[in-house]
Amino acid sequence: MQEPFRAGASREAEGGREIAVTVRNVGMDFDGIHAVKNASFDLPKGRFLTILGPSGSGKTTLLRMIAGFQTPSSGEIFINGEAVSAVPPHKRSIGMVFQRLALFPHMTAAENVAFPLKMRRRDARTIPERVERYLALVRLGGYGGRRIHELSGGQQQRVAIARALVFEPDLLLLDEPLAALDRKLREEMQLEFRRIQRELGVTTINVTHDQREALVVSDDIVVMDQGEIQQKARPIHTYRQPRNAFVANFIGVTNFIAGTVRSVSEGGDVSILRGALTLAGKIGDPVNPPAEGGKASGAIRAEQIRLAGDAAQLSKLDCVLAGTVIDTIFEGERMVYEVACAAIGDEVIRVFDHDPAAHKQFDIGESVFLGWNARDMLVFR
Amino acid sequence: MRAARTAYPLKWRIMDALEGIAAAIWPARFRRATPYLMLLPAVLLVGLLVLGLIQIADASLRTLDTTTFQFSDDYSIANFRRALTEPLFLVVAQRSLVAALIVTAVTLVFAFPYAYLMVRTRSPRLRKFLLIALFLPFFIGQVVRAYGWLIILGNQGMVNEALGLIGVAPMRLIYNYPAVLFGLVQYMLPFAVLMLAPALTAIPEELEAAAGSLGANWVRTFIHVVLPLARPGFIGAGVVVLTLSLTDFAVPAILGGGSQDFIANAIYDQFFRTSDQGLGATLALMLVALGSILVGLVFALFGAGTLAMGRSRA
Ligand SMILES: Nc1ncnc2c1ncn2[C@@H]1O[C@H](COP(=O)(O)OP(=O)(O)O)[C@@H](O)[C@H]1O
Ligand SMILES: [Mg+2]
Repeated sequence: MQEPFRAGASREAEGGREIAVTVRNVGMDFDGIHAVKNASFDLPKGRFLTILGPSGSGKTTLLRMIAGFQTPSSGEIFINGEAVSAVPPHKRSIGMVFQRLALFPHMTAAENVAFPLKMRRRDARTIPERVERYLALVRLGGYGGRRIHELSGGQQQRVAIARALVFEPDLLLLDEPLAALDRKLREEMQLEFRRIQRELGVTTINVTHDQREALVVSDDIVVMDQGEIQQKARPIHTYRQPRNAFVANFIGVTNFIAGTVRSVSEGGDVSILRGALTLAGKIGDPVNPPAEGGKASGAIRAEQIRLAGDAAQLSKLDCVLAGTVIDTIFEGERMVYEVACAAIGDEVIRVFDHDPAAHKQFDIGESVFLGWNARDMLVFR
Repeated sequence: MRAARTAYPLKWRIMDALEGIAAAIWPARFRRATPYLMLLPAVLLVGLLVLGLIQIADASLRTLDTTTFQFSDDYSIANFRRALTEPLFLVVAQRSLVAALIVTAVTLVFAFPYAYLMVRTRSPRLRKFLLIALFLPFFIGQVVRAYGWLIILGNQGMVNEALGLIGVAPMRLIYNYPAVLFGLVQYMLPFAVLMLAPALTAIPEELEAAAGSLGANWVRTFIHVVLPLARPGFIGAGVVVLTLSLTDFAVPAILGGGSQDFIANAIYDQFFRTSDQGLGATLALMLVALGSILVGLVFALFGAGTLAMGRSRA
């Protein structure tokens, strides 16, 4: 991947906002394991960036290097324009919320929040008022006297956020602090993060493996896999214009149909051949476009496929396939159909019906037709 | 067949057989008595100790008639009066107590970095080395080790020879108070490290990283985070080192060469040299009392909960 995030970075530069964090060609090796490879990105002041990737993709390592707990094997990190390799964590102005929170169990909630102020030798007279203000910010007013183990998981979360923010750091780092919470609380806290971040305008880097979280909270998403940055873009672009098959696969539910490239046009139209079938699509990654005669795969999102009992209903769509329903999964707000299509060797295509109450339902074993538009299929080499 | 064997391994079959035997000997209806049965050996041991203490208390109240070498039939507190007034015993008691306090403080200071490094090092090899170095002295035993120090620190010992090479006249490095303190610290270090290590292991490393990111340098991280959280370990190690030092016999006997007796040495003298078992018993009781008061004081000051006893509060 050659600078797959280039477009995103230059857009920021054009915006003319001050850059808070620059990660330049940063790599990290643990005796032979390349945990992070040649990572680069810029983060303008006040923005909320999420590093999204599967477990073991190097997210924590990258975050720990920014926080100063680890020194990059190569490359350099700049905070507010200054190289920070030689600056220890306690001299960086960074608030961090850890994966397991790392609250001090021998202190009360208020003492935890007061800790960074005390360590930074702030005027003792202003500390209580400030602690109370930040506890109120995370909606924990009046809970200051509680010990950590007397608080619920969500409340502990809030204490950790208040502690990381109370000294007004230049940068807030979040290392999957929501991963351990149940879904309802997690979604509540995601919105909470977004509210607080907007209220204070603090530059934030969040790490998660939860694609939904990344889409909900972020201004920008950096997608990582195997230590490499795959794409940096806004959530909507990450979702609609994934730069490669990994990103397309990791975010959302995507069907891949592999084939051979038949033609590539100047305008970005591609057609691929799969058996007797020709599928039309768009170039997914302009930096690394599919080549005529080469292998490629077409990616189509489950929600962009229409399902019908007869082909005539799908006549407005560019591509129509016949298939058989092999499974139906009811997920409450949507129905998921798994359809085997003979034309592509009985490969299974997943289709969402987002309004099952309003549409005709299909049963397992029923013959159906699938259809989609060529512009919705992205072709990656 | 093979699948069956892996699904129900031999270990489980043996356990089944043992459980069958146990059920035959100790039927289920006795089960409510099981916990008490398990307590029995400990209760018996403590009971024996109490019996011994009663015997010693009895002996401490009888005085020795130095002409007949008979013990009086009637009780008196003469032995206690002697123990509390004779300057020799006061000197010995004070020497033991001061030594115990110094040794405890010095040992904890030395043991902490050792335990910390052992727990926190990323190198498994270094951890193994530190563990072995810690356990090796245990295999050698206290008496042999004390003799070893005599050889090393003696007038013709390695240390004095090395000093001679740089032109320093031989010094008396043994048979004095510092030598005893040195020997005790060296002897206590492994105990303290072994009691500190689990307490340090229980402190998540992330807490120290968090303190760093919140603006604390390592000194302040140590003072505000590691030290308070390691308190149970310090209390436990401190109590063990304090009582072991206070009651030690071999190190003062060997490295002190008779000039640096501790309470235990004085008791030994009463029992086996002057054969005044009454006074010996009195000194022994007072040592028990002193130790109990010290431990009680520690618990009163820091709370027994700090030994991680009782249900965890965290
Ligand atoms: N201290 C370390 N020593 C050796 N390997 C490490 C260390 N930290 C992380 N790694 C390795 O680096 C890779 C990335 O880890 P990490 O950054 O924790 O991933 P993530 O946070 O995305 O799950 C993994 O293969 C992990 O095993
Ligand atoms: Mg991680």
